[in-house]
Amino acid sequence: MKKIVVTTALLAGMLAQAGGFRVSLQGVKQLAMAHTSAHAEDASVAFFNPAGISFIPSKLSIAAGGFGINSEITYQNASTLESFSTDNPMGTPIYAAVAYKVLDEVSVGFSFATPFGSTVKWPTDWAGREIVQEIKLQAFYFQPMVSFKLAPWVSLGGSFIYAKGGVDWTKSLTQFGGNLNIKDEKATGTGFGLGFYFKPSEKLDVSIAYRSPVDMKADAGVATFDVAPSLYPLIGLNASGQDNFKAVLPLVDEYTLGVTYKITPKWSVSGDFNYSGWDQYQQLTLDFENAPVGNQAGDPTVLVSPKNFHSTQTWRVGTQYMVTDNFAARLGYYYDESPYEDKDFIPETPSFDANVITGGIGYKWKGLGIDLSGAYNFQTARKVDNSYYDFYGQAKAKAYYFGLGLSYNAF
Amino acid sequence: MKRILISTIAVSALLFNISCDTDFDHDVSSIVVSKGNADFTKYVALGNSLTSGYRDNALYIDGQNESYPSMIAAQMQLAGGGAFKQPMMPNNTGGFTNLPGFAGKLNLQVVNGALSPVPSAPAAALDNITAGGPYQNLGVPGAKSFHLGAAGYGNMAGLTTGKANPYYVRFATSGTSSVIGDAVAQAPTFFSLWIGNNDVLSYATSGGSGVDQTGNVDPTTYGSNDITDPNVFASVISGYVNALTAGGAKGVMANIPNVTSIPFFTRVPYNPLTPALLGSNITALNTGLYGPLKQALTAFGAGDRINLLSATASNPLLIVDNSLTNLSAQLTLALTPSLGAPTAAAFGQIYGQARQATAEDLVLLSTSSVIGTPVAGAPASINVNGISYPLANQYILTKTEKNKVLTATAAYNASLKAIATSKGLAFVDANAKMTELSAASGIQFDGVKYTATFVTGGTFSLDGVHLTGRGYALIANEFIKAINTTYKSTLPMVNVNSYSGVKFP
Repeated sequence: MKKIVVTTALLAGMLAQAGGFRVSLQGVKQLAMAHTSAHAEDASVAFFNPAGISFIPSKLSIAAGGFGINSEITYQNASTLESFSTDNPMGTPIYAAVAYKVLDEVSVGFSFATPFGSTVKWPTDWAGREIVQEIKLQAFYFQPMVSFKLAPWVSLGGSFIYAKGGVDWTKSLTQFGGNLNIKDEKATGTGFGLGFYFKPSEKLDVSIAYRSPVDMKADAGVATFDVAPSLYPLIGLNASGQDNFKAVLPLVDEYTLGVTYKITPKWSVSGDFNYSGWDQYQQLTLDFENAPVGNQAGDPTVLVSPKNFHSTQTWRVGTQYMVTDNFAARLGYYYDESPYEDKDFIPETPSFDANVITGGIGYKWKGLGIDLSGAYNFQTARKVDNSYYDFYGQAKAKAYYFGLGLSYNAF
Repeated sequence: MKRILISTIAVSALLFNISCDTDFDHDVSSIVVSKGNADFTKYVALGNSLTSGYRDNALYIDGQNESYPSMIAAQMQLAGGGAFKQPMMPNNTGGFTNLPGFAGKLNLQVVNGALSPVPSAPAAALDNITAGGPYQNLGVPGAKSFHLGAAGYGNMAGLTTGKANPYYVRFATSGTSSVIGDAVAQAPTFFSLWIGNNDVLSYATSGGSGVDQTGNVDPTTYGSNDITDPNVFASVISGYVNALTAGGAKGVMANIPNVTSIPFFTRVPYNPLTPALLGSNITALNTGLYGPLKQALTAFGAGDRINLLSATASNPLLIVDNSLTNLSAQLTLALTPSLGAPTAAAFGQIYGQARQATAEDLVLLSTSSVIGTPVAGAPASINVNGISYPLANQYILTKTEKNKVLTATAAYNASLKAIATSKGLAFVDANAKMTELSAASGIQFDGVKYTATFVTGGTFSLDGVHLTGRGYALIANEFIKAINTTYKSTLPMVNVNSYSGVKFP
């Protein structure tokens, strides 16, 4: 049995993504168990639930890690018989967290993570190039936090979220015979996190957390039109073919309920339920300063694109088995919903209903811990039925993730 | 514990299997294209400039390579279609150096700070490429319906008398051959026929300078700008289809778009005279010209021809309408006391059939270069074309003239549909597609919005009449859809966005 668990974990191998452009990769150990949240062994719990840091056994705990995401999306059009696949660069979300017990009842912590982002790169001649050729979305969350033990079995924590990030989006302008790049590397937003963490017995951990939405405001965006200079006056561009734009990208809120139960001292099972408020993303508005490239009758410089996302649920189940006192084997599975219907399929944030198998191992030696995890994302092929863009076809995707994490004062 | 683990895995596996269709049902690379009950081994295309790939007011290589028949032929080749040879022009500019009136293609250039189409010099003399034939694209720019059946339409000697067409001269199999004869001689298994635009278009683009020949069934008596009699039209088309289908060939036909959908007639508004453009002249024009004219016309019961110019709204062009009662004599009489006999006579003559344009008149694209220019020979005070001097007949397709075009078009289209139906041929409602394109919403393809807007709409080339590669691709898809529907074939659509549009300097 020991051997089987380990082999399966290695096979499941290398890798977690969630609907839209939320990337659920904030803990290597957590990912191995389907990215479940009720684990207070080390500082990596900080991102999941600020209240969790009260239950970290050691006074000081540090955790950090990184992931690699390999993904490929394929689009095909049954009416033109064309087929295109992305050439996405490897995504590399990272995280770091530190937690420190100031008093027995008061802990402070800090979490750095990249919970939102995606890089999608399509061939330049692909069918949907008018919508996107290449897009890079990224958000960094900086979260200082504090947690109070209200009783030996319950804590309350809160965090402040400062988010910084950017968008770099290139799409074709077929009618003008060129391209448009919109870019803002300095978008910012703020939010907060709140959570309760319960440990009513040695066997049971319960995590309830809420992370607020963050509106990422891009106020100093630059739109660069790669078109013939003779068109600059027509589009209202300056001498370098540029215009400014403003936009707000919502990073949505997430409710999480997590439970970990120790069936034996060596074996625990975890479950999580996430509810993500994607219905806040109904449309994306790009407000250009001069360029009349929008679609609003009243103001031709405003481009509104419908997104029509709906809120999603994610169900996660994971398990950890301590093979020896120092060596842990982990497995997990989660089901993740796409936040939009076929009629709203957009290739800049391609998304699919997904079954994800996860696995990993961990080893600790004195105060140091090292964890490896991997996941394979079985995404359900779907129809592309977007009448807004007259964009039709089918899409499928495959993705796998792997992660390497280090922790100090683990387990 | 083992049991629990196993059942956890079992439950996971179950959940997983429920929704784990990670691959496409049919990968497009494995889809076999079917010809249905058609046979594409020998496809010939008959038609006019639209079929030849003409655009930017010329036939040239890049345009020919993106003709809709060559797009269709490429898809047919996926289902057993044979080679499709086009009578390629010798260069990428077009025109004929040894024939007057055949300039090279229009190029978009910045003129006085604005983008304008500028004609280029023709690149080569008329060549003869008959030896390289036979050709499967038999589209002949300028051909009217009855021209396809005219023997000698490709005879060099007929060029001077207007009985021949240089584009057909290039590849006609003999001095006495006809386009339809050259087509039938190839024993086509499949044909497309899209002809008839020029039977009304040359009348329309000449501002109604020709004659509506409805009722005259002898096309040899027609002038080049005349409207073809609908019975002549129906009879020649019917003859072509009989000849083409006699050997069992199948085919596709298309109807013709009405002129109100193309930028050549929609680009220039009927009322381009903005207050900013007229400036301080408004008062002078109203007191010196529009006011007195309106007063005089009102006296003769024709006061609605002219209204005073507005200083706040955009004003209509002043035009000549030959369908109006000529009030020259009356105007002269009425204006003589105030203007004196000679001036009044000139005014009477100039404004006898003048009126302001309305939204129902169509201003030709080519007229934009004339508006506001001085008219040679007219008195200096009233010599500004379209403002103080009425635009002559050839610059405007008036409501009356437009209705003649629309009536003929409707008759042609009814015949085309009836002929296609009687022979069981596939039929393309090109008129409906063009109407859709000319609506504000346009037509989208993979996120690109296409409209009939001049230059920026992406579908019409710089001449405002012919299409760009993308416009032709939209049409090719309509042909392919019609073929697939009628013959149960599965020819794939073409990717409209991958063809060329207007090139910006």
